[in-house]
Amino acid sequence: MSYLEIKSLSAYYGKAQALSDISLSVEKGEIIAIVGANGAGKSTLLDSIMGLVRQTGQIDFDGSVISGKSTSNIVKSGIGYAPERFNLFPYMSVKDNLLVGAFTAKADTAANLSQVYSLFPRLAERETQETATQSGGERQMVSLGRALMTSPNLLLVDEPTIGLAPKVCQEIAVSLRRMRDDFGLTVVITEQNANFAMTLAERIYVLEAGKMQVEGTVEDLRKDNRLIEAYFGT
Amino acid sequence: MLQILIQGMLLSGLYALIAVGFTLIFSVGRTLNLAYGAYLMLGGYLYFWASQSLGVPKSLAVLMAMAFGVVLGILKFRLIVKPLKGDHIAVEISTLILAVVLQAGVILIFGDSSKILLPIVGGVIYVAGAPVTYNMLIATLASWTILLSLYLFIRRTDIGRAMQAVSMDTKGAAICGIEPDRVNLITWALSGGLGALGGVFFASYTQLAPSMWVGPLIISVAVVIVGGIGSIIGTLIVAHIVGFMEVIVVSVLAPELRGVFTMGLIILVLVLRPQGLFGREEL
Repeated sequence: MSYLEIKSLSAYYGKAQALSDISLSVEKGEIIAIVGANGAGKSTLLDSIMGLVRQTGQIDFDGSVISGKSTSNIVKSGIGYAPERFNLFPYMSVKDNLLVGAFTAKADTAANLSQVYSLFPRLAERETQETATQSGGERQMVSLGRALMTSPNLLLVDEPTIGLAPKVCQEIAVSLRRMRDDFGLTVVITEQNANFAMTLAERIYVLEAGKMQVEGTVEDLRKDNRLIEAYFGT
Repeated sequence: MLQILIQGMLLSGLYALIAVGFTLIFSVGRTLNLAYGAYLMLGGYLYFWASQSLGVPKSLAVLMAMAFGVVLGILKFRLIVKPLKGDHIAVEISTLILAVVLQAGVILIFGDSSKILLPIVGGVIYVAGAPVTYNMLIATLASWTILLSLYLFIRRTDIGRAMQAVSMDTKGAAICGIEPDRVNLITWALSGGLGALGGVFFASYTQLAPSMWVGPLIISVAVVIVGGIGSIIGTLIVAHIVGFMEVIVVSVLAPELRGVFTMGLIILVLVLRPQGLFGREEL
């Protein structure tokens, strides 16, 4: 069994179906990317893993079924989430945002905080600043840092580069790679930026209109010109 | 002038205590709990029944009123707010109906006539020549102590931080492992206890009557609308604006105009600055 395994997942917003019969698997220590256009269902897929959306199907993580569990229990089971819109607490300081992230992992607070500050030294410099006054890149760092404060083994990151300058995108890519290489995390990202996804991930899933279309290693996908043209536009 | 200053300070402290529980619910649950005034009414009546009918010591009667408020808050969340999750208008209409039902219940048990609530602490002290009842002084001191404790609780404790988090971004809080429903339940319980305590002091300042829930509700709504925020500091500031305005109106113009200016202020702020004076959502 894979570290994260999704079987026949469908997700709904009210009566509207946003995901249809999605299956995917992630091995421990991998970085995988889910690529797709706006509205393809990428965020819904990550929200579903976190138990935030009404869904059918089964999601297993680290040998246990997590579908049907509360979001709080899914966080406790070791899944951290940095959503696309950050969902930070705008009138709280950077440090307080990070401390809220430690709600279910209080015993690891000091170690996790120093890990976050080593990864993003800018957050340590600005720990008293309210996140409402920060740039998009800094807020992305707080969002990733807050997810790390939950002591995750699997990190879900929704569109980490959206709206960010190329230089900041590079910083985020380096940080995500360090999270896997130095901290041993398994990382799942979603991306519209296929080039970013291909430079960071080892395997890619392509999502289109709520359905999984293609799956493969970056090397395999690069060899298929028709696929590259159809889904990556290059 | 000194009299106005002292009376203004005392009344504002009481108003802050009354409004803070309402502010908590508005801030965390984004709901105007229109039955909030009923917490005050029931808190006052329970204190009256316990201390003046049963002869329970006053301090214990105050605690009983608070505990009753906590239970009411929990029941209201479990039976009304949670089932109507997300539908703020339905919650607001239901809570208003509940307040009317509770008023009818109080009339059934205690009768329609007003009752005099004996002061929690009797006697008068003169501050710079101005008479101040011990009861009002205690209410103000209790209010300041509670507001300070609440401020520290929200800023320094994990649960307090969780309340702030839920008030600012429910999804953000959920992905940190916080259970928003649990935080809401704690907030409704806390609000109930604070409301009942405010009711004991408010009733001893005015009088006990089945319709007494309306006045504190207007004060609370005024604080939220005029402030436009859910912060404790903001509650304190706006409670002082409303409190001083009322004392000045009563002293300089006419006592009959007391509530009129508060309601006028609500309308003025809604028209000129709908986001409120501070216009920021935080706890």
